[in-house]
This record gives sequence, C-alpha cells and structure tokens, in this order.
Amino acid sequence: MSRRKDLLAYLASRLALVPVMLWLIASLVFLLLRVAPGDPIDALLGTRAPQAARDALRQQLGLDQPLLVQYGHYLADLLRGQLGESLTNQEPVTAVIGRSLPASLELGLVALLIAAVVGLAVGFSGIARPEGKLDLGGRLYGIGTYALPPFWAAMVVQLIFAVWLGWLPVGGRFPPTLEPPSGSGFYLLDSLLAGGGPPFWGALRHLVLPASTLGLLLSGVFANALRLNLRRALDSDYVEAARSRGLSERRVVLRHALPNALLPVLTITGITVASLIGGALLIEVTYSWPGIAFRLQEAISQRDYPVVQGIVVVVAALVVAVSVLVDLVVALLDPRISF
Amino acid sequence: MLPLVGCLPPKPDGELVVANKSSLDSVDPVDVTTFAGTQLLSAIGDPLYASDPSGRTLPRLATALPQLSAGGRIARIPLRRDVRFHDGTRFDAAAMVFNLERFRALGKLGYLLDGRIETVRASGPYEVELQLKRPYSALAALLSSINLTPVSPAAYRNHAKRSLANRFVGTGPYRLAGYTPQHQKLAPFAGYWGEPPRNRGIHLVTLSNSTALFGALSSGEVDVLLSQGLESDQQRSLAERARRGRLVEGRGPAVEIGYLTLLSDRAPLNDPRLRAAVAHSLNRELISQRVSFNMRSPLRSLVPPPLPGAAPPPWPAYQPERARALFRQAGYCKGQRLSLPLTFRSNVPADRLFALTWQAQLQRDLDDCVQLDISGVESTTAYRQLEKGAFPMILLDWVGDYPDADVYLAPLLACETAQGNSCLKGSSVSFGSFWSAPGLQGQLQASEGLSGRARLAVLQAIQQRAAQGNAYIPVWQVAPRAWAQPWLAPPLFDGSGRLVLQALQRRPQP
Repeated sequence: MSRRKDLLAYLASRLALVPVMLWLIASLVFLLLRVAPGDPIDALLGTRAPQAARDALRQQLGLDQPLLVQYGHYLADLLRGQLGESLTNQEPVTAVIGRSLPASLELGLVALLIAAVVGLAVGFSGIARPEGKLDLGGRLYGIGTYALPPFWAAMVVQLIFAVWLGWLPVGGRFPPTLEPPSGSGFYLLDSLLAGGGPPFWGALRHLVLPASTLGLLLSGVFANALRLNLRRALDSDYVEAARSRGLSERRVVLRHALPNALLPVLTITGITVASLIGGALLIEVTYSWPGIAFRLQEAISQRDYPVVQGIVVVVAALVVAVSVLVDLVVALLDPRISF
Repeated sequence: MLPLVGCLPPKPDGELVVANKSSLDSVDPVDVTTFAGTQLLSAIGDPLYASDPSGRTLPRLATALPQLSAGGRIARIPLRRDVRFHDGTRFDAAAMVFNLERFRALGKLGYLLDGRIETVRASGPYEVELQLKRPYSALAALLSSINLTPVSPAAYRNHAKRSLANRFVGTGPYRLAGYTPQHQKLAPFAGYWGEPPRNRGIHLVTLSNSTALFGALSSGEVDVLLSQGLESDQQRSLAERARRGRLVEGRGPAVEIGYLTLLSDRAPLNDPRLRAAVAHSLNRELISQRVSFNMRSPLRSLVPPPLPGAAPPPWPAYQPERARALFRQAGYCKGQRLSLPLTFRSNVPADRLFALTWQAQLQRDLDDCVQLDISGVESTTAYRQLEKGAFPMILLDWVGDYPDADVYLAPLLACETAQGNSCLKGSSVSFGSFWSAPGLQGQLQASEGLSGRARLAVLQAIQQRAAQGNAYIPVWQVAPRAWAQPWLAPPLFDGSGRLVLQALQRRPQP
C-alpha cells in the first residue's frame, strides 16, 4: 500500500476507537460520581432541609430513579448530543461549557505560546557551548520551572505583581466596570475585533499574570526537550556527515539538526495542549479565572453530576481530537514513522 | 509590561466594586441558597419584612406587621401601593400570591413555607391572606427571608414552573444590569419606591481565594470586601488597618454559630456526665483568640445575640476542675484516659485550627483524663453521614434562614419520635446528635404560638434543657464584617447579616 493509504488506514483505526474511548470515559465518570461520598441534595440543601423536602427535590431532579435507569437516560442523551441540565440552576450544561471553555482555551493558547517561545529560546541558547554557563542556566531553568508547585508560584507572582506593585489585576478575566465583548468568548479576539481600546487592554491586563505564570511553568519542559533532542541530533551521523561536507555550524544546526529535534517537541506540544484543555486548575483557581477547570472544581464540590459528566466528556473528546491530530501531523512530517 | 500598567480602564464615577468569595449559579430566589446569592437578592429585591441590626422586624413591602385572626391561624398582610417592578409593572397582592405559590412549588427552601402555610390568597388588591397550619408568632420574621422577594409575574410568566437563572426582575433599589456567575452589575432602579441608592451602581465580583480577595482590597482594585471566605489572620490584618485609619470597617449582627454535635445515643457520649465534662473542658476564650484572633466571639447559647432568647447564656463555662470531676465520676482519669474522636470539616480552615487548638488545650488541662483524636472529612461527605450517626463529635456551623430564635433551636432540637432521651426520627437525627428530652418537642411547638415575654420564657427554658443535655455545645458566633477603602463611609449591615449595598457612599467631606 502507498504511504497515503497507510496514513488513512491509521487515521480510520484511531477514529474508530474514539467512540469506545468516550463511552468508557463517560461511563467511568458516571459511576465514580455515584460511588464517591456526598450527595447533590445535601450539597444543594445542606443539612437543614426536612426529609420530605429532600425526597421531593431528589424526585424532581430524577435522582430517585434506579442507577441503571439514570445511566440509560444519560447515555441516550449523550447520543443525541445533549449533556443535560445543571442540578443547581437547571442551566443547560452546553451553556455552562460554552461560557467557560473559551476562557480556558484563551488562557491555554496564550500560555502555550509563551511556553514555546521562552522554552525553545532557553533550550536553544546553550547549544553553542555545551556545559557552558548558558547551557547550565538553561538546565537549571528547566528543572526549576518544572519543579515549582504551580499553586505556590501563582500566589507569589500574584502577590508581587498584583498586590505589592499593583501593576496588574489580582484575578478575574475582565475589568468589572467594562462591558465584556460579545462574540466567540475569546475576549482578546472579540475586543480586538470590536475596535480594541479599553476592553482589549483590560482583557490583556487580566490575562498577563495567569498566562505568564502558566507559560513559564510549562516552558521548562520545552527547554529540556529541545536541549536533549538537539544534543542527540548534533551527535548523530547525518550531522557529522554534514559537517564533514564543510557546511557552516550555523547551517548544520538550523537546517539539519533543529528540524529533527523539533519533532519530539511537537509531540510534547500536543500532550501539553491536551492537558491545558483539561485546564490548569490551580492557575484558574488562584487567579479566579472562570475557565472550565474552575467550573469543574465547583461542580464537583456541589456534586452537580450533569455538569461534571458533561465537562469531562467534552474535555475528553477534545483531548482525543488533539492527540489524533498531533499523531497525524508528526506522521506527515516524519517519513521514518511507519504504521 | 509598562504600557499595560498604564492602561488601567477608567472607573465610572460613583460606581463601586464589592468583592466576595462565592460565585453565583442562579439569581432566581427559588434557587438561591448561598450567602452570595442572598447578598445579591437583598440589593435587587425587597422582602415583605426586614430585620434591623437590633433584631426588630419591620415592614418593607408590607405596610404593617401581619394581622392575625383570633385563633392565630389566619394572617392578613397589607401591602404597599407605590411599588413597581423593574419592568414597570405594578406590585400587588396577585403578584405576591404568584411569588409565594411559585416559591412553594419550586423553591429549594420551599419547606420554609410548606411547613407553616396551608393556603395563600389575595384578600384584596393590596392585601394577602395566609392560612397557617398552626399559629406562628415569628411569621413576620419568616416573611423577612430574602428568598421570598417577589419577582414580576409578567417577566416570569414562562418561568412559573421553572427557574430563571440569569435574569432578575424584582422590586429592589437596584436592577440587575449584567450577570455572569463571577460578576453581577447592579444599576440604580429609577422607579424605586424607597430611598434611592447612595451610589451610582455596584459591581459584585467573585475572587476565588482569600489571598486574591485580600490583595484586591490592598491594591485598591476593589472598594469593599466582605469577610466571608477570608482567613482569620487576614481579617485581623484588615481590622488592624481599619484601626489605623487605612480602611474603614463595618460589622453586622452575628447570624452564624459554630457548635459541636455530640452523638448522644451511643457510647461513649451517651453518658451525660461525659458530655457535661466535654462542655466544661472547652476554653472558648482561648480558642477564639488562637483560632480567629478574636474575630469570632465565644458563644454559650445556640441562639446568637441580640435575638430574643439568647440571654442569659445557658451553656457551662470553662471549668477544667469541674470537667475533671465529671470525667472521674464516669470512670476516667484514674489511669484510664478517654479517647474522644473529633471530626472537623477538612475544607474549612477554621475548623482544622479549632481541632488542633482544642486538642492542645485538653492535653494541657486534662491530659490524664481525655485525649482528642482528630480527623478531617470534606463537608459534603460529613453532612451525608450525620444522620447515620457516623461522628461521635463533630464541629459544624449553622445560619438561620431568618433572624429568629426558632430557626436556631427547632432544626437542631426538633424530634418527631423519641424514646427517653434518644431521638429516633426528626431533625435532631439529621443533625447528628440523636438527642431529645421528654416534653421538649412540646415546648418547641408551644413557643411557635406564643409571643412577647411568654415566648421568651419558653425559649430560655428550651435552651436551658438543651444545655443540660449537652448534645450540642456552642463554640463561637461569627459576625459578618466588611472593609472599605478609607474614602468610603463605614459599611452598614442589616439584621440578617447582609451588607446594605445601597448605603455604600463616599465619606462626607468634613
């Protein structure tokens, strides 16, 4: 078979697994929520309500039905593309996700951009003089940022730049005294399309601290990955061959070693994107960023089953989609990969 | 970064930013159960009655206190005639009936009315008649619950049987001009019947952790900060700044109590001597100081002052020698040490501090008699396990739905079926104590129909009996506080412990 046919067959096999994976994830989250201690009725009413009121609410929310019946309804709704309604306010789960997912994606994408630019720059910087000061500094940076607890780092950054210096907002996504831009839910983009001005700068000011914190914490992974892969590539035979042909070191690095070293980094990028869709929970909580991880955490504490299930399924679907996409891109770029 | 620093959006003159910790899932009164929700409703809605900080109940949308029939089973409530909803429609008896019926049908706290009210009808264009299931002297206080704030029947026509989470059309001094779970924009309602707000609008914002809240006030990003969700040391720091004039502070009446529940029908705490010993061993002053830096006041009553029935405090004071004597009587302290499990809610920082502090205090005072074994359980899980008798002793808190002694005593003590001092079925089981006393339920019911001094005497007698039983041990009371930037006048609270947003204003120039 030709390589193109191989690729299509590979894609088909991956896509065929997607529904199975999603069913497994959806079933698992359904089951785990019911097994976990706590009850949505208690979360909604506390201990104050009389038993009759609790029973009435349980019936109203359909939680009095046998577990299998609930599971059946849940799967039937999923197949119809319906994620149900929040137990706390009867809002459709799709609306909850529609509101919070763009916030997480905006934060994640900007953080990823910062992580890639800073990480690759740091990883590349020491390559001219291995074991030199720059290289050592880059290694320390990589280990340090990877090892920093995100919650602590976010709090320190918040304390310095927002509280002590007062340069940037402590939290939130948009200045409360301005009207949020309508559109895609990506405030930077929406406010830019609406003409920029105070809404754009307001959105940017709120994004800087969480995105920088998240981006810098992730950049160490990129730095170390590039450094290691570039070092391995520079020690390889084809680079030696290039050098022996009299090519300049600059050309050897940029044209021969770097493209090969970047392929594994692309895979890491995919994994990072996947994890960012799930949300950088600690960053979102610290900066009061109304993203999907923040909403998921609230829903878990409220035992809001439909919201938790809906968010997990949607995030899982996105993660699967991104990982399939990354696999395909890597397969297209790297002729050595066979299926 | 410098250009960004210089790009602060201009703040509209007279609009204020008020921050707290909880986000909102819904603004519909039938859904709201959290403090953040009731705080918002108190600014955009009006109840029939309202409590002032001294605990008095005063008419708001009503024009007088309920006029009761001879048997006390029928209450007539005259309504104001000059009230309009935010959509311009008129508030009248039909609108109030629509709301009371809607709340009974949909309200998460609908049981507040269901247990009391048989029927509701409009007995005139501006008069509502309630038929009560039994006489209830605290009816006005019950109707002061902000969850009963009326919404416009016209605007909620399609939501008579379904809640409306993200819109609100009520009668309050502000209208809801913008809503997200993390930010609610309140604009003054031009057609408000009462005194107009003293500011040009409020932005209620949510910051999800106490450090961010504290930092936002310190950096000037928010104008007013509510104490809910702040750690005790942060509250102390803000109070200290207020003392130095760098902030202004407001303090409301305590509506939250912290108390210990003791499992009274199983060993070891089925022995009343041990429960009394535990009550005598609790050094509330020390704990209040160490845990909350005196931001929470020691409490020896289940009813928080200044509500009627709170005084005199009936629970035993800290007397370690008396505690030792009781432990001895129960067979401990003579080479045998009681191992007493204490559960605290692991997601409530003050609870953990309480457990650690009391453990150390008992180790200091009564090490030969008792040892506290502490463990944490997440709050939702704890609530679920209470009625199963899972916790020999657990620290909990309670906020009454409206400011009246009844909503502090009845939920903890009511018992439908009792056997001696054990409650088999009822609220006392749901709250995890399983305690009752012969005739106590009768006293609780009798107090509902009484008023004035007669009611006060019964309330005091109920508390006295509960204190002798020691199945609940009050620990502290929590008064809400708010801190504002120094150019603002001190924040004011209503009798339900909610910040009066419409009273926030610039400090008058001297």
